[in-house]
This record gives sequence, C-alpha cells and structure tokens, in this order.
Amino acid sequence: MEMGALVVAAGGDLNGATPGSSLWAPAWPVLGQTVLERWIRMVQGLGVGLVSVVDRAEQPSKRMHTMVEWAREGVERILLIVLGSYAEIDLGDLVRFHYQGQHRVTRVFDQQGPLGISLLDRDSVLADSEPVANEPYRPSSRYDFLGYVIRLSSTVSYRQLVEDALQGRCAIRPSGIQAREAVWIDPTASLDPTVQIEAPCYVGPGVKVRAGVTIRGCSSIERDCEIDLGTTLDHASILPNTYVAPGLYVRESVVDGTRLENLARGVALDLGAAGLLARISNTQPNPARPLNLSAAIDLPLSETEEGREDA
Amino acid sequence: MTSSPVTIKRLPELNDPAAQRSFLREIKEFVESSRRPRLIFDLSSVSQINPGSIDLLLECVDHAERSDGEVFVTGASPETEVLLELTQANSVLNTLPSALEAADGSQPQAA
Repeated sequence: MEMGALVVAAGGDLNGATPGSSLWAPAWPVLGQTVLERWIRMVQGLGVGLVSVVDRAEQPSKRMHTMVEWAREGVERILLIVLGSYAEIDLGDLVRFHYQGQHRVTRVFDQQGPLGISLLDRDSVLADSEPVANEPYRPSSRYDFLGYVIRLSSTVSYRQLVEDALQGRCAIRPSGIQAREAVWIDPTASLDPTVQIEAPCYVGPGVKVRAGVTIRGCSSIERDCEIDLGTTLDHASILPNTYVAPGLYVRESVVDGTRLENLARGVALDLGAAGLLARISNTQPNPARPLNLSAAIDLPLSETEEGREDA
Repeated sequence: MTSSPVTIKRLPELNDPAAQRSFLREIKEFVESSRRPRLIFDLSSVSQINPGSIDLLLECVDHAERSDGEVFVTGASPETEVLLELTQANSVLNTLPSALEAADGSQPQAA
C-alpha cells in the first residue's frame, strides 16, 4: 500500500470539550464541519484509503506501534498529523517534495514554526522502532508552507477561522446552500420572514430562528440551535444544540449550550440558571424542512419546543 | 459641576423580598423629592449580576426617568458588564468606573 495517514486528535476532537476556563473545544464545528473532519477529507482527497484517528491522550508508544505495524504491512509512507491547526496545505505537493528529495522524514513548518504535520518513509519508521548502531543520522527535511494557517488553541482563534471562512479569506466553504451573496442557509433551517440577515453569515441544519432576530457581523449558527424572538447576534458563533433566549444582544461571543464566552472582555459565564441560555437535547432531531431559495427566510415556524433543557 | 441630588446605593439581596421592597420605596421617595436626581449603584462587590438584580435596576431607571433623572452603575465586573450588554440593560444604564466620577457628572463610558 502506498500511503497511510495517522491523525492524532485531542480527546475533545473526538467527543467533547477539553478542560479549562475557556470554552474552546476542538470538536466545535466550523460552518458545518469540524476541523478534524476537514483534515480527513483533505487526506482522502489525496487518495489515501488508510486513515486512522487516535486520541492524543494515548501513550505515544501506541501511536508508534500503529505506524510500525503499517510499515511492516508494507505501507510506504505515513502522513502523521498532530491536530492543532487548520492549514490549507497542498498535500500532493508535500508528497512530491518528500519523494523527489528522497527525504526520509519531512516536517511541515510555517513562519511561526512546526505545524505538527510530518511525512515519514517506511524505512524511517522501522529504523526508529529497531535502531541500528551503524545507521547514519539523517535529519528531517523541512517543508515551508506559506498558505493559510490558523493555530486553533482558543475561542478567539476559533472565531477568527469562522470569520476568515465567511469572508472568503480561506478555502473553507460553509455547508448548506448559498441563499444569496455570502449568506449560507441549510435547507432544513427554519427562519421567520422577519429575520434580518446581514452578510456574511451561516445558518446550519435544523436551526430555528424566531421572529425579529437579527444576524450580522460574520455570525454563525451551527446545527439544531434555536434563536428566540428579537435576539441579535453580532460577531457571534452559536454552537450546536444551543437555545438563546428572547431579546438578547449577543456580541463578540461564542455560545455553547448554557455557556457564553465574551471575547471582547475575555470572560466565560454559565447562564443556564439565569434562563438566558440552554442546551437543547439532540435525542429528537428537527424534521427536515425544504427551503425555498427564492425566499430563503420565508419559512413557517415550527411550533414544537421539544427537547429544550435548562431554559 | 452639577447641582442634581445624588445618592449612592448597593443592591439589596435578591432572596430578601422585604429588603427589596424597602429599597424600592427609598428610591421612589428620593426621586420624587428631587429634580433631575442621579442614582448611582455601586456594583463593586458583585462578581456577576443576576437577571433579578437587572430587573431591579430597570425599575430604578423607570422611577428616575419620571423625575428626569439618571441611573449610573459603577464598579461593574467584566462578567456583570457582559450581562448588562447581553440583556441590553446597558442601553438605559450609564456605566462608569467609579462612584466619584458618576457623582461628578462625568460622561458615561461607551457601552
């Protein structure tokens, strides 16, 4: 087999939030897809069929074991991605660079340093597992990447990526249908006709947006959220399964369930007890609703309120 | 300088309805006996304001406006500032860093 890809993701990439005072979790979707899903898609676009995702919390020896197993089974090159950034690397060009230079290990750098992406030859993996005394030391080669990169380590960098994507500064294109210039609305979203939208913005699948809501300033609403009457979203991201109460002004913030992180003031609050935010149970998915693209916000409201918690 | 009467208050405990009633009565008496009163609420001891206290502040705004007065909040923590913005209470409340500036008649901070 020609190539395998091993993606090392933090636990939060796989199933939840990482601990800490900031709300940031690698599992947060960016306009419909997580960064992990985007990396896997990029790898698969290279024609790599052997892709494995492992938890960063696992022992490094286990990762090494996986790579050694692959090498022994005949995998010629292994792409190792330690997830910590979103980078629009031309993986095909990386492979050509590695192959043409006859490098054994190629590491990807940008101007700030290593990006956690390496391409390893089978021989180098096997040599690392069974060191040979007389084997000459061969340093890794460096592949300098000058394209779009964002290191995802905080809620601020998450919002930056959302804004960059909505403003076309990177290659991420939101899922769903482009209802008009720089406005993406999933066909299953339900928006009251009085909703005011200022481009660019994103409304994900199963979202309900009630009357009088305003969405502006590169705001994004991920799947299965509900934004209640008259609330304004301004430079805000609402993460999946979140209910936002009526009449609020959510500015420069990321909201995940009952928790809100305000980026302008650098504080995170839990507003579940105050009844301003809630986590919506995802046990009953929203029924799909067709979207009339000629009047993208001209849809009837669903009267169902099922599944809301903490409101 | 301003000649408007000024009072500086702290918010009562939310779980004490009698204290709240007494507080509102005091506010009402003060604004009714004043012309263009300045009500200043010192929130420096409040780590994060709750919606009930915001409602109380809005009631005070209502009373003050009937006498052409103003309501200031001072010493708000970043968490309280976020809540005042989120609930849009900051659109009717003037926010200043300290009671001294509010009493002096300084211009409120931009929200």
